[in-house]
Amino acid sequence: MTAAAFTFYLFSLSVLAGGLMTVLARNPVHSVLWLILTFISAAGLFVLLGAEFVAMLLVIVYVGAVMVLFLFVTMMLDVDFATLKGEMARYMPLALFIGVVILLQFAVAYGSWAIAPGTETRVAAPAGAMENTRALGVLLYDRYFLLFQLAGLVLLVAMIGAIVLTLRHRTDIKRQDVIAQMMRDPKTAIEMLDVKPGQGL
Amino acid sequence: MFAADFRIILPEAILAIWAMGALIAAAWTVKDAATRALTWATAALMLALALWIGTGTGVDSAFDGSFVDDRFARFAKVAILLISASILLMGEGYMTRRALMRFEYPLLIALATVGMLVMVSSGDLIVLYMGVELQSLSLYVLAALRRDSPRSTEAGLKYFVLGAFGSGLLLYGASLAYGFAGTTLFSGIIEATADGVSLGLLFALVFMMAGFAYKVSAAPFHMWTPDVYEGAPTTVTAFFATAPKMAGMALFARVMFDAFGNVTGDWQQIVAFLSVFSMFLGAFGGIGQMDFKRLMAYSTIGHMGFALMGLTAGTGLGVQAMLVYMAIYVTMDLGAFAFIMSMERDGRPVTDIRSLNLYSRERPLVALAMLVLLFSLAGVPPTVGFFGKYYVLHAAYDGGFGWLAVLGVIASVISAFYYLRIVYFMYFGRETQPLDRVMSPAAWVFVVGCAAIMVFGVVNLFGVEPAAAGAAAALVN
Amino acid sequence: MIGLEHYLMVAGALFVIGVFGLFLNRKNVIIMLMSLELILLAVNINLVSFSSFLGDLIGQVFTIFVLTVAAAEAAIGLAILVLFFRNRGTIDVEDVNMMKG
Repeated sequence: MTAAAFTFYLFSLSVLAGGLMTVLARNPVHSVLWLILTFISAAGLFVLLGAEFVAMLLVIVYVGAVMVLFLFVTMMLDVDFATLKGEMARYMPLALFIGVVILLQFAVAYGSWAIAPGTETRVAAPAGAMENTRALGVLLYDRYFLLFQLAGLVLLVAMIGAIVLTLRHRTDIKRQDVIAQMMRDPKTAIEMLDVKPGQGL
Repeated sequence: MFAADFRIILPEAILAIWAMGALIAAAWTVKDAATRALTWATAALMLALALWIGTGTGVDSAFDGSFVDDRFARFAKVAILLISASILLMGEGYMTRRALMRFEYPLLIALATVGMLVMVSSGDLIVLYMGVELQSLSLYVLAALRRDSPRSTEAGLKYFVLGAFGSGLLLYGASLAYGFAGTTLFSGIIEATADGVSLGLLFALVFMMAGFAYKVSAAPFHMWTPDVYEGAPTTVTAFFATAPKMAGMALFARVMFDAFGNVTGDWQQIVAFLSVFSMFLGAFGGIGQMDFKRLMAYSTIGHMGFALMGLTAGTGLGVQAMLVYMAIYVTMDLGAFAFIMSMERDGRPVTDIRSLNLYSRERPLVALAMLVLLFSLAGVPPTVGFFGKYYVLHAAYDGGFGWLAVLGVIASVISAFYYLRIVYFMYFGRETQPLDRVMSPAAWVFVVGCAAIMVFGVVNLFGVEPAAAGAAAALVN
Repeated sequence: MIGLEHYLMVAGALFVIGVFGLFLNRKNVIIMLMSLELILLAVNINLVSFSSFLGDLIGQVFTIFVLTVAAAEAAIGLAILVLFFRNRGTIDVEDVNMMKG
C-alpha cells in the first residue's frame, strides 16, 4: 500500500467513525467533539485531493466557529440528556434498515462512476499553473461575482434572523449609562441622615 | 460586459439594496414605529418592479449563462412580486392586531422574494442553490416570528429541520450532476445528457427531485406542511402557501426542461408518482380536519399534485397548464387566507371551521365571496378553478397520461367534500357566538376581489393564458 | 490506487450516516442539527473529489458557497432551537407535540 492510499484509508476511516459516533453518542457534548474529529479528518481528505484552501477553510471556519457555536448552545441549554436517549433503540432497526438499503444502492451506482463524454470541453475553470488559493480567488471575485453577493445576502439573513429571534430588550433591568453615571452629583445621589442611637430610621 | 450583466439583475439588485438600506435606516432611527411605512413602501416597490419586469422582452443571460432572463422567468417573477406585495398589504391588519409589526418582517419578506426571483432565473446549479437557501432561511425565521408562542417556534423548528434536510437532498443531487457533466451550468448538463443518462446521473435526478418536492410540499415529502401552516402566524402561512410554491414549481420546471430536457422519459414517471400521491393525500388528509389552516395545508398539497400533473405531460402545453394552474391557485389562496386572517373571537384568532356557523347572516357579502372561493378551490364548474383543473387534465391527457387525468378527476371529487363542508357551516350551521368584525379594509378587498376574479375570469382569464403560453414556449422548444 | 469511486463511497456513507442520525435522534434536536451538518459535509467531499478528478475548480467554488450557507443555517437553526427551549424547557420535538398530525 502506498503512502497516499494509507493516508486515504486513515482519514476516511476517521471521517466515518467520527460521523457514526456523532449520531450515536449519548451525550451531545461528546457528539460535538466527534463532529470536530469528522471535520478535521475531512480536511485531511481535502488536502489529499489537492484542495488546500477549502481544507483550511473547513478547519478555521467550521471547527473554529460553527462547532464552537454548537458547543456553546449545547452547554447553555440545561437539558437532561439521559431521558432523551432512552428510546433510541425503538428507531434503531428501521433506521439501520433504511441506511443499509441506501448504502447498497450507492455502492451499485458509484462502483463504476462514469463521467459524461466530452467533459473536457465543458470544464470552465481548469486547475492550471496558479496555486489553489489564488485561482479560487480569481474565480470568486470575477466569474462568480453574483454568487458572492448572494452569499453576503444569505449571511445577512442569518444575522437578521438570529437577532429577530433571540434578542430581547428587557425593560425591568438596570442598564449602564456611562455619561449619566459619570456626571452624577454626590449631592443628589447621597442623602445624609442623622441616625439617633437606639431608634433606627 | 459587467455593466450588461448588472443591467439584467437590476430588479433583484434594487430589491436587495432597498431591503439593506431600509434595515439600516430603521435600526438606527425609529425601529418598529417605521414598520407600517416600510410595509407599504416595500409593497409599492414590488408592484413597480413587477410592472417593470412585465414589460421586458427578449432573452438575455448574465454571468456566463448562470442567470437567465426569459419569458418564463419573467412570468414567474411578476407572479412572485405580486404575491409578496399582496401578502404585505393584506396582512398588515393581522400583524398589527397580533403585535407582530416588527420592522424586520417586511424586509425578511423582501429578502425571501429576492431569493425566489433568483431561483426562477437560475441557469446554474450554484445560483439555484443560493437562491433556494436565501428564500428558505428567510422563511424559517418568518415561521418562528411569534417568538413567545410555543406553536410558532415549534413550527419554525420543524420547518427548519425538514427544510434543511430537503436542501441537503437537493444539494447532494446537484453535486452528483456536477460530477457527471463536469459543469454546473444547465446548458452543459443538457449537452452531457444527449446520449441518455448513466445510473449515477439517475441518482442525481432523483435526489434533486426529492429536494424540489420538499420545497413545493408534494407528497410524500409533505410532512412538515400541516404543522408549519398551523403554527406560523397566519400572514406568514399565507406567504408559505403562495409565493414559495410558485417559485418552487417554476424552478422545478426550469431544471427539468433546461437541464434534463433530453431525458424527459426518465423524470416523467417520478413526477407522475409525486402528482398522484399528492392529489390523493391532499384529498383524504383534509377530510378530518376542523382547523382551517391545517385544512388549507392539505388543500395546498392536493393542488400541488394537480400542478405537477401539468409538468408530467412534459410538453409545452403541460408547462402552460401548470403556470395557468399556479396563477389561479395563488389567487384563490390569497383570498382564502385574507379571510382566515380576519377570523377572530373576543380578540383572539380562531381557526376552527365550526366557528363559522351561520357566518352568512353576519356578513352576507363576505360569506358569498368565500363560497365562490371555496367552490373554485374545489373546482366546481362555473368558476375559474374548474378551468384550471380542466387545463391540466387536458394537458395530461394530451401528453399520453390519460390514466393520470382520470385519477385527477377522482381526487378532485373527493377533496370537494371538505371545501363544501365549510360552505355548509357558513350557511346552514347551528347558531353559535359570532366572530368579531375585525376584517381590515385591505383584507376585505382581497377576499371580495379574488372571488370576483374567480367569477369574471372565466371570460378570458385576464390574459394569463397567452402570457403562460409565451412563457412555456420559452422553456420548451 | 485510490480512485474517484473510493471518495464517492466515503461521501455516500457519510450521507447515509447523516440521514440515519436524523431518523435515530428524533428526540434530540441538537443532534439532528449535527446530522444536517454531516449531510452537507458529505456533499462537500463529493464536490471536492469531483473537482479534483475533473481537474476543474468550480467544484471547490461550490464547496465554499456550501460552507457559507451551512454556517448561516447553523446560526438560524440554533437560534430557533434556543427559542424553542425557552418556550418549552425541552428540546424534544416529538413528545411535546401541541399540534396533532
